[in-house]
Amino acid sequence: MAAHAESSSHATQDSGLLRVVVVTPEQTVLDATTDFVALPLYDGELGVAPSHAPMIGRLGYGELRIGHGEGQRYYIDGGFVQVVDNVVSVLTNRAIPATRLDETKIKESIAFLLTQPAAGDDELARREKSLSQSRAQLRVVQHAK
Amino acid sequence: MANPRALDKRRKSIKNIRKITRTMELIATARFKKAMDRASAATSYTRRITQLVNDLTKTGLEVSHPLLEPRDEVKKATLLVLTANRGLCGGFNGNLIRAGLLRWKELKQEVPETRLEIAGKRGIAGFKFRGQIAEHAYTHFEDKPTFDEVDLLATRYLHEYLTGQLDRLDVVYMKFDSIARQSVSVETLLPLGSLGADAKEEDPNAPQIQYEFLPSPESILEEVVPTSFKVRLFKCFLDSAVSEQIARMVAMKSATENAGDLIKQLSMQYNRARQGRITSELMDLIGGVEALK
Repeated sequence: MAAHAESSSHATQDSGLLRVVVVTPEQTVLDATTDFVALPLYDGELGVAPSHAPMIGRLGYGELRIGHGEGQRYYIDGGFVQVVDNVVSVLTNRAIPATRLDETKIKESIAFLLTQPAAGDDELARREKSLSQSRAQLRVVQHAK
Repeated sequence: MANPRALDKRRKSIKNIRKITRTMELIATARFKKAMDRASAATSYTRRITQLVNDLTKTGLEVSHPLLEPRDEVKKATLLVLTANRGLCGGFNGNLIRAGLLRWKELKQEVPETRLEIAGKRGIAGFKFRGQIAEHAYTHFEDKPTFDEVDLLATRYLHEYLTGQLDRLDVVYMKFDSIARQSVSVETLLPLGSLGADAKEEDPNAPQIQYEFLPSPESILEEVVPTSFKVRLFKCFLDSAVSEQIARMVAMKSATENAGDLIKQLSMQYNRARQGRITSELMDLIGGVEALK
């Protein structure tokens, strides 16, 4: 489809660089070129360098790092990633720059969630999900320091 | 009729109304542009999701998921009607309410247990007037529905569907076809039916790309299906917001034009009446002068 044509004609093809596109249902958060991306996959982190094999992966809650060392950092709230032709497309519900996360607020919400009673499997699962999201946010913030 | 002062008063008030409708038109235009930008930003996401699904199905994976399969027996159905919070947008709300009522009556006959949910004050009031009370009413969806808000709703529907408290979800909303065309649309979002329904036919000559799936195609599918439902529901909300602004823009434009016509007509009447009065006064004067001779 269009995305394929777009990517194959893109300059990143031979330049040994990656194009990273982060989209949420509301907007395109980021469209940048870089030489390295670290993705928070469902069961662990994955680093993607240029000329990576085509891949589709499921994302977990965690940190998206762009570039080596002091690169841009984003908190990613699940979703999918597709790597093809040196284009990394990240589809997620929310992508928040690490600098915009508020550590005290996250800690508060964790503390609040821990005091919330949960009865039944559904509620437990829901609480567990929110907790792991908040904890992942906290990790991102602390890492970004 | 021929009271110039009364005519002038009317003309002034219509001029005021014209100012207001003109402003409302401008506001609606600005809001429409914003809503349109949001909607087109969302298409980038849907396009990529659709592509991902296509690539996933090409691997020959058996696409099966509880959300995709229709239930043998539909016992519990929910109808969600998306209307606007505000009026003054032509037939927008009226058409939606009419279509919603029709579908609601059909559903009530087909399904033993039905539930009505409405977003938008106009729809709530419209249904209430016709004696239908909504079980859930939402008024917080303004012209910028956020994904988080819709996500809450979608998660609840998904949960209800998976636990058997819901067998079918219909959504009545104003579908955005183009700037010049919007149509009332009744869609069944749950069960989802097919995943890549709106996918275009792909070029068969396109190179096949062998993807690696992490952790596994099944795991991705498990996540893709709920996500595409959420995105579809979100799209309904976005379409509805865009269509509302277009409807208001059009309604206010014609109101402004109408007011202009009315002002022209009243001005003519006013001028005639004024002229008539001057003439008759002149006649009086001349008559008096004649009488004095």
